[in-house]
Amino acid sequence: MNAMQWTFVVATISGALALWMLLPRKRFRGRRLGSLLGLVSLGLFASQVPLPGGPAERTVFIVLAGVTLAAAVCTVTFRSPVYCAVWFGLTLLGVSGLFLFQGAQFLSVATVTVYAGAIVVMFLFVLMLSDPRGRTYYDRLSWEAMLSASAGAVMIGVLSMTLHRVFVPEAAPPAADANNVAVADASGASANAEATNVPALPEPPTSESLQANILAPEHVARLGGALFSRYLVTVEAAGVLLLVALVGATSIMAHARFEQLRRSRHGNG
Amino acid sequence: MLELAAIALVKVVILSFGLLTAAAYLVLLERRVAAWVQDRRGPNRVGIPLTSIRLFGLGQPLADGLKFIFKEEFTPSHVDRWMYTLAPISILATALAVFAVIPFGDVLTLGGERTIELVVAPGFDAGAIYVFALSSLAVYGVILGGWASNNKYSLLGGLRSSAQLIAYELPLSLGLLGVVVVTGTLRLDEVIRTQANEGIWFAFAQPLGLIVFVIASFAEAARLPFDLPEAEQELVGGYHTEYSGIRLLMYLVAEFMHMITASFLIVILFLGGWHFWGLTDAAAWGIEGEAVPLWLGVVRIVVLMAKVFVVILFFMLTRWTWPRFRFDQLMNLAWKVMLPLGIANVVMMAVVAEFEVPLTDRLGRGGVIGLTWVGTLLTLIVAALLVPLHSDNRRRSIEPDLFGTS
Repeated sequence: MNAMQWTFVVATISGALALWMLLPRKRFRGRRLGSLLGLVSLGLFASQVPLPGGPAERTVFIVLAGVTLAAAVCTVTFRSPVYCAVWFGLTLLGVSGLFLFQGAQFLSVATVTVYAGAIVVMFLFVLMLSDPRGRTYYDRLSWEAMLSASAGAVMIGVLSMTLHRVFVPEAAPPAADANNVAVADASGASANAEATNVPALPEPPTSESLQANILAPEHVARLGGALFSRYLVTVEAAGVLLLVALVGATSIMAHARFEQLRRSRHGNG
Repeated sequence: MLELAAIALVKVVILSFGLLTAAAYLVLLERRVAAWVQDRRGPNRVGIPLTSIRLFGLGQPLADGLKFIFKEEFTPSHVDRWMYTLAPISILATALAVFAVIPFGDVLTLGGERTIELVVAPGFDAGAIYVFALSSLAVYGVILGGWASNNKYSLLGGLRSSAQLIAYELPLSLGLLGVVVVTGTLRLDEVIRTQANEGIWFAFAQPLGLIVFVIASFAEAARLPFDLPEAEQELVGGYHTEYSGIRLLMYLVAEFMHMITASFLIVILFLGGWHFWGLTDAAAWGIEGEAVPLWLGVVRIVVLMAKVFVVILFFMLTRWTWPRFRFDQLMNLAWKVMLPLGIANVVMMAVVAEFEVPLTDRLGRGGVIGLTWVGTLLTLIVAALLVPLHSDNRRRSIEPDLFGTS
């Protein structure tokens, strides 16, 4: 394994450990050590991220990404459910900022509208069910801390390794390999030859491309064009699905109340 | 890039200071209007500090602000400190951030060729949705404020207000959707330009949309028929019962900001923005081409601000005209009246947009608008016949009327 592969593996493992330590548990909870390990893991991952353009773009990107990640970690590690929900909201704001940074204006505002709107409703229920001081035991525990921490870290690790094609150019891929090599093997060609044909990583955005993206007109028109031509069937199917869900919810509701009414009539009479 | 950033920064500074000052003076205006309606004099004493010059009470906002700032910043011992501080900040920040996409004029031409678009984020293609995204974030401030106060009246008030905000967001967006369907753009400056080019404001072209949008924006801004948070007598106030000093000031300023935003949106979407017949048309002044001279740009700003001012006055007069809704009346109005009316408006506008060419050929532009008015009247009559009276306080039968048979 070369240095890059070691970086990713170490980052994944330390990320899993950090998450496990930070998750709320009964007795032992190494917050300091966990935060330290988390920072190490983040730093290792960040050292491999291709950074965009000039210093201004770089600063904006780092701040947005840092806020998003920190808020995401806080979402799962805080004990009070209300705080978790607020951190989740901040995560979404960071994600929407990153979308905006890439020039996806509609996606960015739609993220806030849809998710924040939906979360507020979820938030209301959390609020009504939770003890204001967070003293209840089920709020203070995170169940299956080990499994969830390692699953999350492995997910992040595998995703970033795949995106970076860390294990692709190797002649004999190790067991924890990315999926695309397995596909290449199945297609009959030698792994080596196929691997060299894999297209290179996309270039990180430059200042000019970012500026052109952000200042380009007709974002919504282009998005709408794509949605209603190439993805028309998907959009229609999603619409039908939502309609069915709505009708279903209404019928369950009406049925339950009808039953209740019937029972009260016959029970008393 | 640096130049863009500098221009944006200047606009941000002007806009935020202007808005905060405007909010302070609108409070004075509101008190004077209230006094006028109630046949009183209102605050007319405070003038220039340390002198005896009264100046019609124009110094009152200064005194109010100083009072709020120098009051003890009292934090009750039972509150959740972080959220208690965060809630008013978040609601004020979102209320100010909305103005990033709201145009406060058309363009200013400086030095003959440089044009500056009078909106902080020019060319933001999803501007209308951005407004809604941020107004949905304002709910966070309400809920968090109610929850962090750790007081059951505040919590109930927060739940009440957030339910109100969420419910009225739907008719608000349906009112907007009618305009978007017809203009085919989400940019607010393009909406104004469409109205200016046609010379017909959307208030005339889609009256039902205007009705739905105005009522929904009253509810979103928590103005009087919908101002349950202010109901100290019957509901022990709302989410900001436990707040005082500068934090309460933030909540109150944010509420005024919501009213200003709503007025801007009503003017931009339905009342033609900076357009006024003969006054802002370049052709009427004999100007050739697309270029807008500096003075015409200024005239357009003045026209826009005058319209916004009139709408704000309308908001303030309404306050002393209507009694407050009860919570169930408010919810019934949202779901059983405003939502169907909004959907009817969108359907009507979709038909108009789809069959615009054949309809205009047969009936002419005026005929199409007349058809819309007929449709609006029919919809209102149907709504009036079908929707039950919500002012009925008599005890109903306990059994729910499931199928509307009785």
